[in-house]
Amino acid sequence: MASTPSSAEWLFDVDVSATYDSNLTRAPSAPDIRPDWATTFDANTGQFIALTGNDGLTLTLNARGELYDRYNGLNVVAIGATAVYRHKFGLGWAAPWAALAANGSYDDYRSDVRTGARFGLRAELGQRFTESFDVVAGVAYDRRYGPHGEAVVPGISGKVFDLTGQSAYFSVGYAINDAWLVGVDGSIRRGDVESTSQQGLAVFLASSAIAEDPAFNDPELYAYRLRGTTSTLGATLSWAFSDRSSLNLHYRYALTHSPQDLEYRSYNTGLVFAYRF
Amino acid sequence: MRKSGWFVGLALAIWVGIARAQNAEIVATVTDQQGKPVSDAVIVAVPSDGNLRLPSRPPENVVDQVDKQFMPNVQVVLVGTPVTFPNNDNVRHQVYSFSPAKRFELPLYAGMPAQPILFDKPGVVVLGCNIHDWMVGFIYVSESPYFAKTGPDGKATLTDLPPRAYILRVWHPQMDVAEETTRKTVEVTRTRPADVGWTLKLKPEVRVRRAPVPDRAGRY
Repeated sequence: MASTPSSAEWLFDVDVSATYDSNLTRAPSAPDIRPDWATTFDANTGQFIALTGNDGLTLTLNARGELYDRYNGLNVVAIGATAVYRHKFGLGWAAPWAALAANGSYDDYRSDVRTGARFGLRAELGQRFTESFDVVAGVAYDRRYGPHGEAVVPGISGKVFDLTGQSAYFSVGYAINDAWLVGVDGSIRRGDVESTSQQGLAVFLASSAIAEDPAFNDPELYAYRLRGTTSTLGATLSWAFSDRSSLNLHYRYALTHSPQDLEYRSYNTGLVFAYRF
Repeated sequence: MRKSGWFVGLALAIWVGIARAQNAEIVATVTDQQGKPVSDAVIVAVPSDGNLRLPSRPPENVVDQVDKQFMPNVQVVLVGTPVTFPNNDNVRHQVYSFSPAKRFELPLYAGMPAQPILFDKPGVVVLGCNIHDWMVGFIYVSESPYFAKTGPDGKATLTDLPPRAYILRVWHPQMDVAEETTRKTVEVTRTRPADVGWTLKLKPEVRVRRAPVPDRAGRY
C-alpha cells in the first residue's frame, strides 16, 4: 500500500525550447523589424489537489528564462505562481469542464524599461469529445506593469510597458495515434500593445506612451504604447516519445491592427522539449 | 475408523489426480496482421454442449493502480467474481465504469476501498479514473471458467479442460471486429493439446494522452 496516501499530487515539469520570432520589435515596416532566436527554459512545480472527484485545484510556482541570440536586452528571468481551479461536470474523460485560473509573475529583463510585474486571469470551458479530440475555449484578462519607462516627450507617459488587454481564445487537439498529436489554436486580443520603431507621425499620433528602447542597440528606435487588436493563429505538432516527455514543433502567426492604419505582422516558431515528472 | 478415513482420502486424491490427468489443454496463439505476437488477448472456451460447471463462489481478484495506471491493463475473471481495486499510488483515484456489463463508481479514495465490486454479468468492463483521464483498463468477465490471457509471446494455454468440443473466442481491446466473429469450434482430447490460432486486425491504440503538450490551455 502507499505509505502516505494524500489528496495532493506533486507536479514538476520542465520545457526547454529554441524559438524564432520574426518581428520582435512588432514594427510595421521592414527597416525596423528585428528578428531573433531565443533559448527558453520553463520549470513549474506545485501540487494538484483533488478536492472532490469533480473538483481540482492546481497550485504551481513557475520559473522562466529567455536568452536571446542577438538582442540581449530582451533576456529575461521571471518568477511567478499560478492557481487553477477546475470543475468537471460529470464522470469520465468526456465530461465537460470549466476552469478559472490566475497567474502572476515578476519579469526581470536586462533592459530595465521592460522589467515589471504581470498578472492574468482566465476562464475556460473544455470538452473531450473522443479519446483523441478535445476543444478548449476561454477568455482572459492580462495586466502588465511597466513602471520604469521614462518620458521622452513632455506630456506623454514613458510607461510603454504598462499594458492591459482582454482576449478570447480557443484550442483544438487531435491525437493521430498514441505518439502524434496535432493542435490548432487561435486568439483575438484587444488592448494595449507595444511597438518599437523609428519616429513617425502615424505612430506618434496613435501612441499613448513613448520611451527609449535600448534593447535593440539602435538609438533610432523608440518604444510606443498603442491600442490594438491582435489576431493569432497557430499550429502545434507534438510527438510523445514516452508518457512523460514530448517534442513539440509550433508555429504561430500574429497580426495586429492599430489606429492610424498601423499594422504589425509576426510569426513565432520553435521546437520545445517538454518533460513532466 | 482412522484407517478407513485415510483410505478414503487417498482414494479421493487418486481420483482427482486421474481426473486431472484425463483433462486436456488448448494452446492458443494470437498474432496481428504483421505476424507479431499479440499480448493481453483473452481466449475463452465454452463447451459446445453448454454444460458449464461454475464454482459457487469464485475467488476474489484484484486490479491494482500503480503509477497512475491500472495493473494489469487487462484482467480476466469468471462471472460472479468480486474484484478489489487497491490504490498503490500516493495520490487518490476515482475508479468508474460506464460499461453495460458493470456500472460502478468508487468515490475518491486512497489505499484499499471498503468493498470489492461484484462482476455478475459477462462482458467487457472498461475502467477509468475521473482524476487521471488517461487511465484506462479492462476487465473481461467470462461466462466460462475456461479462459486464459496471452503473454508477450502471443500464447495462452487453457488447462484442465474436460475432453469435449469447445467453442473458442478471442477478445482484445484493439480488436477491429466483433468478438463473435472469432468463434472456432475445437474438439479437445486427452491425447495431445489442441492448437488454435487467430490473426487479428488491430486498431491503432488511441488513449487520452498523458504526455505533455506545452502551451495548450487546459493542462491540469
